[in-house]
Amino acid sequence: MKSLIKKFGKINSGVLALCILFLILELIGHRYGETSIEDIIFFPAFFGFLSCIIIFKIGVSLRAFLMKDEDYYDR
Amino acid sequence: MIDSFPPGMIMVIGALLIPFLPHIVRQIFMMLLVLLSAYPLTLGIGVHTTINFFDLEFILFQSDALTIPFAIIFHIAAVLNIIYGAHVKHWKQHVAIMSYSGAAIAAVHAGDLLTLFVWWEATAFTSVFLILASNTRRSYKSAFRYIVIQVTSGMFLLAGALILLNNEGNALLTKFDINTLYGQLIFIAFGIKAAFPLLNGWLQDSYPEASEIGTVALSTFTTKLAIYCFAKCFAGTEILIAIGAIMTFYPIFFAVIENDLRRVLTYSLNNQLGFMIVAIGIGTELAINGAVAHAFAHILYKGLLFMGMGAVLYRVGTCKASELGGLFKYMPITAVCTIIGAISISAFPLFSGFVAKSLIMSALGKEGLVLVYFMLLFASAGVLHHSGIKIPFFAFFAHDSGIKTKEAPINMIAAMVIASLLCILIGVFPSLFYSILPYQIAYEPYDFSHVVGQLQLLTFAAFAFICLWHFKIYPPELNSTVLNSDWIYRKMIPGVLIPFLSMMSNINIKMSNYIIDTSLKTKTYLANIMTRDRVFDREVGKDGLIILQVFTVFLVFVLVSQFF
Repeated sequence: MKSLIKKFGKINSGVLALCILFLILELIGHRYGETSIEDIIFFPAFFGFLSCIIIFKIGVSLRAFLMKDEDYYDR
Repeated sequence: MIDSFPPGMIMVIGALLIPFLPHIVRQIFMMLLVLLSAYPLTLGIGVHTTINFFDLEFILFQSDALTIPFAIIFHIAAVLNIIYGAHVKHWKQHVAIMSYSGAAIAAVHAGDLLTLFVWWEATAFTSVFLILASNTRRSYKSAFRYIVIQVTSGMFLLAGALILLNNEGNALLTKFDINTLYGQLIFIAFGIKAAFPLLNGWLQDSYPEASEIGTVALSTFTTKLAIYCFAKCFAGTEILIAIGAIMTFYPIFFAVIENDLRRVLTYSLNNQLGFMIVAIGIGTELAINGAVAHAFAHILYKGLLFMGMGAVLYRVGTCKASELGGLFKYMPITAVCTIIGAISISAFPLFSGFVAKSLIMSALGKEGLVLVYFMLLFASAGVLHHSGIKIPFFAFFAHDSGIKTKEAPINMIAAMVIASLLCILIGVFPSLFYSILPYQIAYEPYDFSHVVGQLQLLTFAAFAFICLWHFKIYPPELNSTVLNSDWIYRKMIPGVLIPFLSMMSNINIKMSNYIIDTSLKTKTYLANIMTRDRVFDREVGKDGLIILQVFTVFLVFVLVSQFF
């Protein structure tokens, strides 16, 4: 555990611990969503993680099209 | 008398005295103006002040369940702006902020479209000085584009108002049908100010160019005035659901790659407006409450985030993620307040964003709009990414930029602390917050499913970011310009129009040259044929003239003889 915290950092390890805690909470109580798809176990966790990765991937790929030099409009 | 004076108007009139007051007196005077402006709100719901002009009735002060929450938050924001800008000694920005806040408050209380038009344009003409206040060439150009677009929005509003006046005999601010011409014109006017997709360029173009205190004020009033107007006039208009969903969705990607942190916040602002527009499009009582609650909460946490970045800009001179980092040890209070703003906008339980956004998500769920629901859920993860993490992380942590600075001025800290406390207060006591919303409905945001679901979504989205950063997949921020819809009128149209005009100019020059050349040639030819031994030689001209006269007389004789 100590080596994980050392390797991954205190804050990062804390977030990971919270992630695990919120997964356990779902197992303790009964969580339901606004839509039936959300009722799938750990759905928000998967959705949050994947969304962030997708946003990152699309954002980075858009750099090629949308990112120009800083003085682009001044030229 | 003072209680029937339209809220906001006294702030606009009082702003004219600000240049003549010494600094401390000015600050007290401005606070007094806001208090005086708020006093008539005690009159409650109803039409309170009207004037007749050119046989038209202008409703200057009306109040209903929708205006009250907007009036309250606009006054709170005006006070926060005064505190936040107290370190600025020169009067110019104070006049602009006071009159701009006043105009926005007065606009919310307008009961007819012509009165709204006056205040609509007043918000544009007063706020442009906040962009000019940066005093750079970029801000000057940006301010010009800003005012052109804002005035264009006003022209659409005026056109719609006049058609309505002609058709109906009045231009009352009420619910409009999108299928009418005036309805469409007014819809476009509101849409420009609400930064609809492809009409949003002005927002990302101008707000980050404003001064550090100017951006905070700008983020509060203009777009939220548009939200109020949509809620008032187009609640339940279905197309708003689609427009709003697109608004929540696409700015996320721009925000991810944008380097200027204040510009990131403007994309985030656009995204948050999308949530409100979707809710207005749904139009149920729960949804309208959600839109208003979101606008209310958003003014506070987005203002707080802009305040944090404004403080960084004031102390460091830049807001570029590529140049910042490691400021936590120098600006800890600013950092903590910015983090509270970031947590609030991300909609963590016990913070304002959660209790506001839950209303909208529940309204979507109740209406069975599954696709839009998941688009907004995806956007919620995006908000965490760009506003919840990117803003505080790149400014205050990330890496040591080597910048050494000091904490923000005390007045800035005071404004940030008050805004932070309000964000928490709303989150902790949602029933108090819900009591000022337009409709009194029973809603409990803190149930097990809501809380656990939201916490899972956010912590795992944060964990994804941590993984990307920790394993060095996240690319470094770069000094750059990210193309947005303003590219259409800043590059594309000039790119097409300038060569076209140049071509037309060339054609014009060539045609002129041809005409001049032909004229010269004709002149030379005529001159040549008049020279010696030619037909019109002046020496033989006399004989030629006699022949011509004889020939003419003969011709006349022949013609006359034809008639007789």
